[in-house]
Parts: sequence; C-alpha cells; structure tokens
Amino acid sequence: MDRASLESAAVEYSHLRGLLGVPLSLVFVLAAAGNTRWGPFGNTIVFLAALVSIGAGWLLVSRFYDRHYGRVTLSRRQQTRAVVATAAVVPIVFVGSLLARSEAGWSLDLPVNPIPAAFAVAMLIFHAVTVGLRTHHVVVLGALLGAGLLPVWDGGDPGNAGLVMCGAAVLLTGVLDHRLLVRGLGPARGLDLGDTGAGA
Amino acid sequence: MPAPDDELVLDRLIHEPGRLAVLTLLSSVESADFVFLQRTTGLTRGNLSSHLSRLEAAGLVAIEKRFVHRRANTNVALTPRGREGIAHHWDQLERLRALAERATAGASGRKATRVGPAPSPRGA
Repeated sequence: MDRASLESAAVEYSHLRGLLGVPLSLVFVLAAAGNTRWGPFGNTIVFLAALVSIGAGWLLVSRFYDRHYGRVTLSRRQQTRAVVATAAVVPIVFVGSLLARSEAGWSLDLPVNPIPAAFAVAMLIFHAVTVGLRTHHVVVLGALLGAGLLPVWDGGDPGNAGLVMCGAAVLLTGVLDHRLLVRGLGPARGLDLGDTGAGA
Repeated sequence: MPAPDDELVLDRLIHEPGRLAVLTLLSSVESADFVFLQRTTGLTRGNLSSHLSRLEAAGLVAIEKRFVHRRANTNVALTPRGREGIAHHWDQLERLRALAERATAGASGRKATRVGPAPSPRGA
C-alpha cells in the first residue's frame, strides 16, 4: 500500500460501511408507508415499533463492521468535514424540494418529483466532499436525479413514491459501497482476526 | 523545508515496512483498533502485535486495552512524539526521492549524503 492509500484508508472505511444503508433504506420505505397509512403502519405504535427495530438493525450492522473490520476514530479535521458536509446537504434537500414543488408561494411548482432529485444532489455533494465520488455513486444517484427530474410527475403528490425511490438508491449504493470495501479489506471472515496482547 | 546541508537519516525503527504502514495509517486518524490496523496493513496478528510492542516501547504509540461489548479491544494512537517522528520520516523520504530524481536527471552539485540505518535523533 502506498502512502496516500494508507492515509485515506480510515476515511474510506468509515464512509464505505455500506450495509448501514440497508436499515437506512428501510426508514425511507417506512416513512412512505406511514404517510400513506399502508397496512399496519397507519398505527402509530406499529410505526414506532418498526422504527425502533430498524434502529436495532442499524446497531447490529454497525457492530458487524466493528467486529470484522475494526474501529477507527477519524481525525478532528475529517470529523469536521463530515459534519459540515451533512449540515450543508440537509438544507439542500429541504429547500430544493420546497423550491421545485410544494405548496409554498415561492415554489416553482414544476412537474418533477423534488424529493429524489434534491436527495440525489445532496448525496452526490456529500460523497464528493467526504470520500470522493465512485462510479456507482454517479450511476445510481444520477439515475435517481434523472428519474426525479423527469417531467412526468404532475398530478398527485409524488412525495411517497420519491421516498421509496430514495430508499432503493440508498440500498443499492450501500450494497455497492460494501462490495468496494470488501474488495479493499477482504471478506468479513477472510483474516485470522482478533485482539492480542500487543504492548503487554 | 530542511536546510540543504541537513543530514539525511532514516530511522530504522520507523522505516521497517510494517511499522511504517502502521504509523502512516495512525497519522491520519485520532486512533484505530488492532482489527482495523490488521485489516488495512495485511499483517498477521503476531507480526502486528510485535510491531506495536516495539513502537510502544519507543514511545511512538500509546496502546489502550479495554473491553467493548464484553470483547477485548486494543486501541492504538500516535503519541505526539510518534506524530512528529512519522512526519519527519516522510519528509526525509521525500527529500531522498527528490535527490534521486535530481541525480537521475544528471544535475550537478550532488553532495555526499549519508542514507541508511542510523540511530534515531530522538533515541527511539
């Protein structure tokens, strides 16, 4: 490994733990199910229970990465970068969605699906700032952006369809991120891993 | 930038490829655990453990043993001395590379430069 690869290994690892995208994608689908009161998810208790289950799933996936690939605390500069990137993209999603199509007086009221479009732009910026855009980010999020901007969304509120599309994109990018991680660091059980008495 | 007549000395303790990889990795983070270091460097458990022990003995890394979710976990971070040491080492390697390029290009004014194992200026 060369110097640059070693110095970027930690930040890449922290951003390419893609299986964390699986529970995150379920949050999008759950939000859409809750909005439409689809099946049992119209019930607040069922909705909250599903949300808690997803949170528990997220913790399990996080523990899987900690156990098989290790724990790393990024430098202050890297942490600040991630926080700034997150703080920058949240308003993009909200303001972008409201501007493109909403009940607000200043909305352009375009026949687009604003949530996936704004989310795709925000995620492209986030990945570019934090870990660098990979081909699959551009392809998946570009497709999401394109689908959101297609002028075929006039009629009813496309918000829930948009949430499901975002969930699918998060799932797909997550799985591909994980594949990239495995390609770089090896399969979960690929090494004789474990703690030792180093420094004893 | 170092003065041109600075002696070019590489610290053998740091220059060993396994330890250089560990220190370079740690220089980009606050801390990392044993599993992450093993994953990214590709070293065996025994090798990594041995390198970490030597680096700790030299005061270049600090090792914290703890339990996380009831599992033993070894967390490693560079000490200020280690951070300075690895930065200095890479500076020296860059200088060496520049010298080699200049020599290859046939630049005049090549000076005698001592390169190779030598005791660390910090006694590490």
